[in-house]
Amino acid sequence: MSELLQSPLFVLPLNVCAFLLGVAIYRRSGTALLHPIVGAGFLVAAVLWSLDISYSDYRNASGLLYALLGPAVVALAVPLKQNLAIIRRAGWPLAVTLAVGALLAPVVAIAIAFLFGAAEPVLLALSGKSITTPIALALAEKIHAAQSLTAGIVVFTGVVGAVFGPPLLERLNIRDHRIIGFALGINAHAVGTARSLEFSALCGAFAALAMGLCGALTALVLPLLVDALN
Amino acid sequence: MDSFRQIAHWLCGAAILLGCEFLGRKISAAFSLPVPGSVLGMLLLLLGLMVYGGVPRGLARVSEQLLRLLALLFLPAAVGVFYLRDLSAADWLGLLAATVFGTLLSLLLCALLLKQLLKQSPRNGEERGDE
Repeated sequence: MSELLQSPLFVLPLNVCAFLLGVAIYRRSGTALLHPIVGAGFLVAAVLWSLDISYSDYRNASGLLYALLGPAVVALAVPLKQNLAIIRRAGWPLAVTLAVGALLAPVVAIAIAFLFGAAEPVLLALSGKSITTPIALALAEKIHAAQSLTAGIVVFTGVVGAVFGPPLLERLNIRDHRIIGFALGINAHAVGTARSLEFSALCGAFAALAMGLCGALTALVLPLLVDALN
Repeated sequence: MDSFRQIAHWLCGAAILLGCEFLGRKISAAFSLPVPGSVLGMLLLLLGLMVYGGVPRGLARVSEQLLRLLALLFLPAAVGVFYLRDLSAADWLGLLAATVFGTLLSLLLCALLLKQLLKQSPRNGEERGDE
């Protein structure tokens, strides 16, 4: 029995069911706080705990999903290409904001965590916090950061940005959908992009663009930086 | 016949994604680059699409489907959060402060910077995106 529970035969349907339930809960609740990954994560953890399945067994059995992360990163090129015309119109302000933002997001977070006395593995995992999860996971592998911690931080960052970001900008009288979308894409990746799409298609396009470019830029620069610091 | 063609398109799209990822990995390994192979694959594909001048139908469909399932793909990694045992109280506090305040601070600074820059370039009027 326990062999079946540790095999992909049980684990993959478990993942799919938890994901579908997570999506349903998210749709029902209508709040970004319950992003599908939050609900699905709790469900899977509850099942693993009640059936006494170890995390490493579960992770090994989920190999197929890990294998699909790579192609998913490649697939990000498609929305990027479809939004390329937008860059040409808003040109250099976007390029400058992207470069500054891609650097600022991890630096601010690492500085704060450092002040609170967090240990080095935590700081390392924070470096990928604002980039989309598949790229962040690939990157974590490269710079030897803990993948689980990275995934948790990335999801939480996205949820915080998507839930509290738009009201904050609204309060400061920033209502240009290009600005809201771009800032959310840089700082809250896919969760922020999903939120942006609820405002307008333009807002969503800017968010998708920022998310893709920010992920690519960070992936290119961060490993070099970590190498140099060591 | 039509559905047969659609499946062929879909398979072509999937093959393009896998091919780009494979190439990216090979290049990353061959030159021992620090950049993840899948990210190189993404840049290769972007370059290819820019040269091609569009997105093939099958590729657009596969990509859309895959990206919609993104949360499912990283679910196993996210579940690992519940199994982090070796973090101290300072680590948790630092993490919480960094993700909440750090995220909102950098989000705010990005928005203010972009607002300022857009104001300076004259041909960019305010766009609300009302449809």
